[in-house]
Amino acid sequence: MKVRFPTLLVTVLVCAALPPVLSRAGLWGFDQYHALILCFGVTYALAALPLNLLIGYAGQISLGHAAFLGIGAYTSGIIAGRLGLPFTLGLVVAAAVGALAALVIGLPALRLRGLYLALVTLGFGLAMASMVFRLRSVTGGYAGQAVPRPQAGTFVFLRNADLLAIVILVFGLVWALDRNLLRTKVGRGFLALREDEEVAAAFGVDVPRYKLYAFALYGGLSAVAGSVFGHVVGFAQQESFTFDLSLLFVVIVLIGGLRSRPGVATAAFFFGVTPRFFSFLQGWELIIAPAIVMFTLVRHPGGLGQTFAEVRGLRGRKAKAKGATRTDDDESETAHASLVLPRPASAQELANTTSLRAKADGGAGVPLEVRDVSVRFGGLVAVDSASLTVDGGRITGLIGPNGAGKSTLFNAISGFVRPTKGRVLLHGTDITDLPPHRRAALGIGRTFQQIGLVKDLTVTENLLLAQHRLAGYGAVPALAYLPGVGRGERDLRQRAEETLHALQFERFAESELRELSHGQQRIVELAAALLTAPGVLLLDEPSAGMSPAAAEALAERLLQVRDELGQTILLIEHHLPLVLATCTTVHVMDAGRMLTSGTPSEVVTDPSVVSAYLGERVA
Amino acid sequence: MTDVVVTGIAAGAVYGLFALGLVLVYKATKILNFAQAEIGSFATFVAWGLITSWKFPWLLGALGGLLVAGALGLAFERAVVRPLIDAPRLTLVVATIGMGLLLAGLEFKIWGASPRIMPSPFHGDGLTLGNVTLPPARLLALGLTAVAAGASAWFFRRTTFGLAILAAAQDVVGVRLTGIRLRHLSAFTWLTSSVVGAAAGIVIALSLGAFAPTFLNGIMLLGFAAAVLGGMTSLPGALVGGIVVGITQAVVSHYWISVAGLVETVMFGAIVAVLLLRPRGLLGRLA
Repeated sequence: MKVRFPTLLVTVLVCAALPPVLSRAGLWGFDQYHALILCFGVTYALAALPLNLLIGYAGQISLGHAAFLGIGAYTSGIIAGRLGLPFTLGLVVAAAVGALAALVIGLPALRLRGLYLALVTLGFGLAMASMVFRLRSVTGGYAGQAVPRPQAGTFVFLRNADLLAIVILVFGLVWALDRNLLRTKVGRGFLALREDEEVAAAFGVDVPRYKLYAFALYGGLSAVAGSVFGHVVGFAQQESFTFDLSLLFVVIVLIGGLRSRPGVATAAFFFGVTPRFFSFLQGWELIIAPAIVMFTLVRHPGGLGQTFAEVRGLRGRKAKAKGATRTDDDESETAHASLVLPRPASAQELANTTSLRAKADGGAGVPLEVRDVSVRFGGLVAVDSASLTVDGGRITGLIGPNGAGKSTLFNAISGFVRPTKGRVLLHGTDITDLPPHRRAALGIGRTFQQIGLVKDLTVTENLLLAQHRLAGYGAVPALAYLPGVGRGERDLRQRAEETLHALQFERFAESELRELSHGQQRIVELAAALLTAPGVLLLDEPSAGMSPAAAEALAERLLQVRDELGQTILLIEHHLPLVLATCTTVHVMDAGRMLTSGTPSEVVTDPSVVSAYLGERVA
Repeated sequence: MTDVVVTGIAAGAVYGLFALGLVLVYKATKILNFAQAEIGSFATFVAWGLITSWKFPWLLGALGGLLVAGALGLAFERAVVRPLIDAPRLTLVVATIGMGLLLAGLEFKIWGASPRIMPSPFHGDGLTLGNVTLPPARLLALGLTAVAAGASAWFFRRTTFGLAILAAAQDVVGVRLTGIRLRHLSAFTWLTSSVVGAAAGIVIALSLGAFAPTFLNGIMLLGFAAAVLGGMTSLPGALVGGIVVGITQAVVSHYWISVAGLVETVMFGAIVAVLLLRPRGLLGRLA
């Protein structure tokens, strides 16, 4: 096994060792005051990372950040101060308490989105600051709670430079966790649910659980930052953790650039350090700083992260003579792409995970059966007692005029809407009551009318996301990036590379999905859906937005997928030549009902189908 | 008990008025406007300056304050909201935070941190109901709130312009296609909500007697609570929400005054309960 040079570890250790050495050597006038200011800067950076995780990765907003910092500071105060226990224990307990508190806040997040959730967190922050942090029995009331300097054995970190070393070590730890997160399925799951919860679920991400993960991680890491903050200030008091501080950190994350770890850390560092340098401005800094913030938002919405990326991009472009750029010439781009992708290396392993999947590969039973399903939205009956079966190893068509209820039926099959009546059976097993991610795990794969991928991830990252449930490691090992995780990730990455090769899309590997043309995105989406190794693949208008020639090429490719992989497909399509060329059986829906079914040629000549599409002949 | 409730209603009317401004912006643009508190307190300072230093008649001074608030709202819309029209809502929310901080910085720089006394235009003790005397400032607040709520309800239901604002919140492209100028809608929204917020600020300063920079921050949070209780998009809901918040505050602080922060905690519980059980709020309709 190749041992990689632990760059991050060495960097953190060197950075942590520098301040104590410098201060003892008395170099560069590095005194107590400077060390303390740096402590504040790094602590701010430490405190901003978890909020970036929550907002930037998982797409959930917290306006109660100060409350979590406060929880950490008070917990450390009580553990290390009042009880006289080691400060490391304080950090651990703080993390646990913070995570628990965040879970409580995360529960409403399962039902609320966006700014409504923000208001809940705002209320939480307010309640903590105005009540809990004031309870004399718990937190020392208005007097506050002293947080002593950390102590290791008999050595007390009295020197600010020594304290700075601890702050840097904790910062390095959180940075590493954050980085590990992003290079595993956990981080990809977060980014997917930020983009679109249905897309995430279709790839097998357990959305409620991942939201709670995000909140727990956020709360835990924020509390750790808060406890470091407490040690730096030496004191936890209610006035430190107000609403204003919460807002400041949201500002920091945006100025730093959502999702950009270095950008956010740098912005936070400056916000932590500069007020102490610019006090000579006598109040003007309170006017200048917000003005800069607003100017940045308007002129440079990507924040510091965008700036960093541009600088890096500039360097990258010089190094590489040319980069892949978007082309609108779909036909030539996708003509040679093969959708016959390598089956997952661990296909057997995969098949063994559930007996159901074993059955799927054995081809026993009807792959998919919809029995008498109805879906109502209020007074509107979108699907009315629809039944259909999908045969194994065949392509089954589902056609009908706009508004016939085809996509709603798809949603009922894949779990995004609950049928009011009827059952959905996958290989004879009733899946009607299962949530979407469980259905994905049992072998339902699907594409969406709007491209069901994450637009601001690269093509490779999207293909890794697609293999979410094939990654054989848990969330906790992922955070530590244990060796097994690295191996699992290499497998996924290899499969993604093979896929890119089959599609002949290698030069788009590192392009963000949004840079590809619509047709190219569609091909990647199909490939991603196939990568999930679905027992039944549901395709929702795959040729939408494609030229007739590209649709023809798509038909060939679907046949190839059917013949060479034995893939079972249910296809919604408006482009009739594609349906005629690929489907063995076609079901026709109109106004929520199943109109008829049969072979393609039977169906297109059926008078009731013709009138459903073209309207009744006027008498 | 009735006395406490009457006090609560009177206080709640102001929260309702403030919430009205927040709901206006949210309804039209889906932005939580954190700048409203500081636009309000800036306007209050201007009104105070006009009345005390420039010897303006009270009403003219107050009008001057409202005018400045309107100008600030318009300037913010022009310089920040319009360029960010396609940006994620969070970016705009953070921009309002920036605007609030900027105005707070200006207030500290120009007028300093020490509290100022808002002169009252009223003589007399106000209205006595049972054991409670409602001072003139409270009555003014009640009247203003009622007028503002009525006017805005009429505006959104009965005028084309009001309907266009609501439509724009749903579908920007569609409204553009009908030939309505979006920028007018957006500018109007920020103008009115700033003026409403400033009116609330001046009235609050009047009933508190004294005010200082950022004095409206706490009120703004209660205003948000009121807006959520009312369903965030309902104007009468904001008003009712404000009164519920006012009564809760009065009752809790009357009977359990020793428990610090209980008001905020009860309010938080109420917000969570409303959002989870009845997300459209007490009076809100389904979208």
